Amino acid sequence: MRSLFAILALGAALGAAVTGGATEAPPNAYCYIGWPSDGAVLPAGKPFRVWFGLRNMGVAPKGVAFEHTGHHHLLIDTDLPPAGQVIPSDRNHLHYGAGETETMLELPPGKHTLQLLMGDDKHIPHTPPVASKRITITIR
Amino acid sequence: MRHTFVLAALLAALLQPGSLHAQAAAAPAAEPANAQVYFIWPHDGSVIEGGKFWVRMGLRNMGIAPKGTAVPNTGHHHLLIDTGLPSMTEPIPNDRNHLHFGAGETEARVELPPGTHTLQLLLGDKDHVPHKPPVVSKKITVTVR
Repeated sequence: MRSLFAILALGAALGAAVTGGATEAPPNAYCYIGWPSDGAVLPAGKPFRVWFGLRNMGVAPKGVAFEHTGHHHLLIDTDLPPAGQVIPSDRNHLHYGAGETETMLELPPGKHTLQLLMGDDKHIPHTPPVASKRITITIR
Repeated sequence: MRHTFVLAALLAALLQPGSLHAQAAAAPAAEPANAQVYFIWPHDGSVIEGGKFWVRMGLRNMGIAPKGTAVPNTGHHHLLIDTGLPSMTEPIPNDRNHLHFGAGETEARVELPPGTHTLQLLLGDKDHVPHKPPVVSKKITVTVR
């Protein structure tokens, strides 16, 4: 009986790790890339602006725990990172911990994917994760 | 004559670091020199059928933080509807002409009656007071019909 309880507790812990972090996403939270559009073809050698769209949720810098907020992360040419863990910080995972709502980006020629993912005050995705659609753009 | 000029220049040089320091310590948050707040949507002169629309609030070279949050180079949006700019040294009023987005929102669903309306964005610091100098958008006009 006691071991059954332990297994259940373990299962619950694993379940929580799989679904996301400790911070709950507001209901109806909607994250999207306002610009560029999916399928856009942009000129090489020229930085372009990326607009971070967010509805039914607010922006707060890293380290700020304020209900129903988070900060933007831009994923470039990569899949969503594991739920419930700190979002990596590297050239494929750009952090906007100062509360930025847009950025300038320059990418080499070719096809690229872009996706936004909200992180909480500790850079961990919400439960459920608040992520945009993944879009594809071409630089040439 | 030349003497006075040198003296004035010296005085200015002496005063400058002091005045800069005073500004940094002053109550309203200072803003980054190139901060810019603007409307992503709607555009100036837009005609909106039905009167319900999303306002998308744009901010460059500065970040969003909810009210009460003291993080340098941040603020939160206020949408001014059919009104002029309020006092630049007091908290922005909170009424139907001055909408606060203290939860860090960057978009707002707005409904306006038929007619011509003005919209303007004004950033407020953690205490809802405009920055020094203020970060304010161009005032745009939209028509609802």
